Amino acid sequence: MSDTGDTHLDLFLFSVCGIHFGVDAEQVSEVNAYLGEPCEDLFWFHEELGFGDEAITYLSPTIATIRAEGGQSYRVIIDVMEDIAEIGLYEILPFPPLIEPFALRKGMWGIMVRNNRLILLVDFKLLLREQSHVEDL
Amino acid sequence: MSPSDEKLKSERILNELKMRQRSKDIVDVEEERVKVVTFMCGKNLFAFYGSDIREILPSCDISWVPCLPDYFPGLINVRGDIESVIDLRHFLGEEKVHQSKQLIAMAVRGDFHSGIMIDSIEDVVDIPLSSIRPPLATLHGAARDLVIGEIEYGGEIISLLDVGKLAALIVL
Repeated sequence: MSDTGDTHLDLFLFSVCGIHFGVDAEQVSEVNAYLGEPCEDLFWFHEELGFGDEAITYLSPTIATIRAEGGQSYRVIIDVMEDIAEIGLYEILPFPPLIEPFALRKGMWGIMVRNNRLILLVDFKLLLREQSHVEDL
Repeated sequence: MSPSDEKLKSERILNELKMRQRSKDIVDVEEERVKVVTFMCGKNLFAFYGSDIREILPSCDISWVPCLPDYFPGLINVRGDIESVIDLRHFLGEEKVHQSKQLIAMAVRGDFHSGIMIDSIEDVVDIPLSSIRPPLATLHGAARDLVIGEIEYGGEIISLLDVGKLAALIVL
């Protein structure tokens, strides 16, 4: 059991460019198809996470609206929503110590193995906080 | 001397063997030895201390993680433990190659543990500690920051790399 008394987490699972991610389903308030509309407050997941300079193709771009702190919302384009799954907290592993500092800076806080795949757990609130720290510097 | 005082041939041989054994033990005590793992990375042979290498894994799937520096190709799942992987070629100034052909040496020293990508394993050998020479003063190139000494192996001089120095190069 965690400090918060939770034993399970509902994960919203999706992938981008063949990399699998999970986010606490409580953070996702809405999911809509992305129809190509330009919008200033819309972010591409691969740009937010730092996928590098290679061109990324989204097979089924989807807008996930994230409940951010202070009642704000944050809209990010992800790809291929896969599932919503309940997982036990005991299934979550921290990142290896050498990699953890890099991962945390991009909001990635844990890993789980599901069907032989590694799933990277992303906390969008952590990502936004880290981004605001960088902007403050 | 009575015939009974005379040492039998077998006794003489046995004594000699025991003396030889004792002198070998003395030599063994004096000559501290260490295990080194020799391996190929790029065009060159290198070595790590055997005590720093826990196991060698055959090539396995490396899961890429966004935002990591080039020298971290990603993560591997080692019997349920998730481990980082370091691309040694980056630090040796060697060209990158396709990961599927690489082996992974699991390195552990103190708090540091990570997989290290290498091309192939050559050998695991015991060498006298005294045979490790200081790094060549003329050593240059990217490998200089990783080398702790030079050893002779198979008639050539190869660089002994230090896992601790590698750990120090990882900028968090």
